[in-house]
Amino acid sequence: MWKGMIYKEWLKIRWFLLIYAGIGILSVVYCFIRVQHDITFSSPNGYWYFLLFMGGQYFSLLKFLPGIGALAIAIAQYFPETVSKRIKLTFHLPLNENKALLTMWLFGAGTLFISYLLQFLLFTGLSLIYFPGDIFVPAISSILPWFLAGFACYNLTALIVLEPVWKYRIFYLIVAVLFVPLLLQSALTDGFSPVNPFMAVLVLLSSFSLLFSGYRFRKGEM
Amino acid sequence: MVKFSRYILVVIAIFSLAIALPRLYWISFEKPIKAPSVFYSCVDNDFFMIRPADGGILTNSNGDEFTRDEFELKLPLNYSRQLTLNRTMPDSINGVEMDLHEISRNRSFFRVRPKDIDTPLPSLYPLFESQSGRANLEMPDDFFRITWRMEFLDSKTNKILEEKSRMFSAVLYNRGFKFPATSINGLPTTRKSCDEGYLVIDGANQLFHIKMIKGKPFVRKVDLPEGLKFKHIACVDFSDKLYYAYLFSTNHEVYVLTQYDYMLQKLDVAETHPELNEVRILGDLFNYTITSLGNGFISTTVLDKDFKFVDTYKESWLTKDERLEGKIAHLLFPFELKLTDNKSSYIRFFSAFHSSFLWLIVSLCLMVLHFIIIKKRKENVKNQIADLAIIAITGIFGFIAVNFFPNKFFM
Repeated sequence: MWKGMIYKEWLKIRWFLLIYAGIGILSVVYCFIRVQHDITFSSPNGYWYFLLFMGGQYFSLLKFLPGIGALAIAIAQYFPETVSKRIKLTFHLPLNENKALLTMWLFGAGTLFISYLLQFLLFTGLSLIYFPGDIFVPAISSILPWFLAGFACYNLTALIVLEPVWKYRIFYLIVAVLFVPLLLQSALTDGFSPVNPFMAVLVLLSSFSLLFSGYRFRKGEM
Repeated sequence: MVKFSRYILVVIAIFSLAIALPRLYWISFEKPIKAPSVFYSCVDNDFFMIRPADGGILTNSNGDEFTRDEFELKLPLNYSRQLTLNRTMPDSINGVEMDLHEISRNRSFFRVRPKDIDTPLPSLYPLFESQSGRANLEMPDDFFRITWRMEFLDSKTNKILEEKSRMFSAVLYNRGFKFPATSINGLPTTRKSCDEGYLVIDGANQLFHIKMIKGKPFVRKVDLPEGLKFKHIACVDFSDKLYYAYLFSTNHEVYVLTQYDYMLQKLDVAETHPELNEVRILGDLFNYTITSLGNGFISTTVLDKDFKFVDTYKESWLTKDERLEGKIAHLLFPFELKLTDNKSSYIRFFSAFHSSFLWLIVSLCLMVLHFIIIKKRKENVKNQIADLAIIAITGIFGFIAVNFFPNKFFM
């Protein structure tokens, strides 16, 4: 039964996931095409200087991508469940309701994580061709909150979409609109390093948020 | 687990609201605090101020007002170009002939703000050729770092230049440098009059001057008094070429490091905290004026050219928190959270817990309001005690959070 459930989740998100993963990889590749172009048209030392002392960020294109991808996957995964309240069918299966919801979350967040990981590994590999760790490590510290924003976006979108009452959907949306941009605000390279651990914990904890609206849904809150 | 998920959402909401609501409040109601600019007149030996808060009036320390022309005549070294244009520049001051070239050569301006200190710093720096024989400095192809040794990385190949790295590391080692470096300070730009390399603090808190002369390392250890440690070193490039840097010690003293003879000279000025206040040092033909601009005060000390104390001036005003809008903020919010602050370039938690406890009045009102809501919904108060406690502690943030994520199902 679990296999069937996971297959259902895969059917819902597969195209969104594959398109997002493709766009993510192409974006990372584009970042480095631009790096190569800028180095060719200025000089490697000038480009290093630009990154080290003038606030240049060769990875800035990636800023909103994790959030947009997460939003698309979360809507693809959870919106069909709210049409005609289909998720109630899942709740009628002989499975633990919370476990079923967490399995849905785990599948969605897991596939999102894999696509982020692919982008991250490609970004790391290409970065290390052009730059030393002294430039690459602060870059990682700067893009980490953008990926955290992606997970936060996924968790809070799931919460909002599954919430049965419109009034509360708007309330949750307000909280999401206040919280997610905190991870996307402009900062110097490595500027986020003091808050990254706390933000990671907060975003990880927000994974449970789905249970709240799921609970309200199955209790028939109107 | 569902209850746990709700409290996580409440925490996220409180966290977000504690940042957003105070920010919205201050954007709406904050009034600018315009600090005066303080100058020292070598003509009157008195302090003169420009007061933007009072419509830009020009006064001295007694409060006497001046016209612009009168004001500029009192500060001939600050307005030498204007006075020359007006043909009112004095021929001599205090027996010293006024030569525009000399005035300009002795003029220096230095500023350090807390956000310049609390900022992400690079770990790679360019080491310029100090005696290239060229009029302009050229950016080198390699950048150095000082970890377990001094390493040069070629930006063209992204590889370590072994020979150069070994040569510099060996000289540093022979001069007693303890790897790694804890602080590398210099002017990593080609837009300076000449290159004087870097002042580097090593792992044993020793200070070294490192530069490259004709491709070879120049390393000089600076003798420091016992126990003296520096929290911030700012290298300067002034036309008088008297010293390399301003050095701020951990015991809040300020030093200059003189050029060529490497003497540390202490400035006769009260405790200076560049990590908390903006510090400006203005040099002219006769004096150095050191100004600390902090939250609600300005403090200016004048030193002579030997860095000995001449005079001091202090002025204070109401801080943001002491003004009416600050007191209203203390009433509305139990605390304020910020991720950014004008004293840091980092994103981190800057929290301000209000000590006045005025916010307890609002918290109490909100608890009563929440109690009425509970009663109206005909819910059991026992199930809502945690929510009431959240409102008591976090005030308006908690009230909004617990009502955005309702508790009415957990009975």
